[in-house]
Amino acid sequence: MAACSAVHCGLCHSAMAASRVRWVCTAAAPRSWRLFGAMCLLRLPRVTQPLQKEEEEMMALMGQIELEKSHYSDHEIRKLEEEELLRKRKESAYDDEVSGKTVIMARDLEDKWEQKFLRFKAAPRMTDADESNNRTSLYRKLDRNLMLLVKQKIGNQELWLMPQVEWQPGETLRSTAERAMATFLGDHIEAKVLGNAPYGIYKYKFPRAIRTEDNVGAKVFFFKAFLQSSDLSQAEKKDNHVWVTKDELGDYLKPEYLKKVNRFLLDL
Amino acid sequence: MGPGQPQPHPLSTPGTFVSRNWECGGRSAAAGVVPVHRWRRGGAVMAAALGLCRARLSSWLPQAVPSRGSHWQSSVLALRASVPMRAQPKKKKKVDVKREQAQKERMKKKIKKLEKTTPELIPIEDFITPVKYSDSNRVRSLPDLSPEETERRVLLLKKWCLFKQKQDNAEKKAIQSMVEAQQEALKELRLESEELYQAAIRRDERLFPFERDGPSYTPPLPGYDPPEGKCVDITKVYTQ
Repeated sequence: MAACSAVHCGLCHSAMAASRVRWVCTAAAPRSWRLFGAMCLLRLPRVTQPLQKEEEEMMALMGQIELEKSHYSDHEIRKLEEEELLRKRKESAYDDEVSGKTVIMARDLEDKWEQKFLRFKAAPRMTDADESNNRTSLYRKLDRNLMLLVKQKIGNQELWLMPQVEWQPGETLRSTAERAMATFLGDHIEAKVLGNAPYGIYKYKFPRAIRTEDNVGAKVFFFKAFLQSSDLSQAEKKDNHVWVTKDELGDYLKPEYLKKVNRFLLDL
Repeated sequence: MGPGQPQPHPLSTPGTFVSRNWECGGRSAAAGVVPVHRWRRGGAVMAAALGLCRARLSSWLPQAVPSRGSHWQSSVLALRASVPMRAQPKKKKKVDVKREQAQKERMKKKIKKLEKTTPELIPIEDFITPVKYSDSNRVRSLPDLSPEETERRVLLLKKWCLFKQKQDNAEKKAIQSMVEAQQEALKELRLESEELYQAAIRRDERLFPFERDGPSYTPPLPGYDPPEGKCVDITKVYTQ
């Protein structure tokens, strides 16, 4: 409580101007809401999403139309001419005049290219983490956005939330959010914070037992950032954090919190 | 000064041959006694002639009539041609400098006129079909479309239209909800503290330019060794 009041005193001067305009009776009211800065860290997709049925049909149609409108390319002309030559040679039962020379046919070239393509093995789109549903891994669901959730102790409860930390006077809310990120993932995290403004807010009042005049509730301001470095060697214990997609958020977050968070997350 | 400028009519400038003041490049000539040659060549002669005449004036009465200077002179007008050029130092400096400057200006004007034409347009190579692709043997021979096929295509396009419309509406709604959430958050922040609010609505200079590689079909292969080689850029660069 002492810490809270200290925080409030520090803020009351700046709140004075606003509070005077709004609440005439409580002109010298200190801040009644505690401020928190939370960071919504997103890992952007690495792989394209699979096409839907209409998209696939449309793609096929577009390919067909393109083929119909096109002319023959050099390679195709060469292929046609060689087919003609082969056919004529078979019909006329010629003796091979070109036995000495080895002519590379277009068909052979195509075969060669095909072989080369089959020999190359690309990385799979569904990774091992997908199969084992290992939610702490960053390599799961490569075609979706992954968000970081951490287990924190609020009051006397252990809750799953976006990493959040209380605001200290003298810093902006964005730096509070960055500090929250650093406390949970280490200092060497590279993330691009999208702007100075918060993306959403979750306001809640403390239960009646703790609530006082000065300490009505808390306001949590969310900030968004894109994860850019992929090494999280300084991450803490494994059971503390989880990377989930938007659909899986419901498994972890409380309904009210989830509702507010869903508003500023794009459905990917 | 120079032949480009209009010369006053010789008869319009009154004055005698002798009493005229010869400025550099003096074009004005006395009435009646105008030399047939252009003043360019005659200028020096004129000056010399003037000098000679003036020298003689001191002993003669001021008369406008040119007369024989000496008994060796056969004709009056021949004075101008036969007089030695060493009588007066040639006033070449001013005249020449002016002439050269005038010439330079003329050249510059000509150059400017040439340069004023519209610059040559840079050809867009994508729009120019090379000639070899207009051969008749290049035309693809495919069977015609059956009516069922055209019907299927039309129906597919309509379904696609609807699909894209739904997708676009969903995107717009999502963006709208994001904007609303942000506005609400900023409103609450303002209620809390004006200073924090001002810090929040400040523009973030480090955000743009923002670059990111988009997703590919397969994720990057760890430990992949790309083949050796160098890419040489052969695009044609045009300058206007």
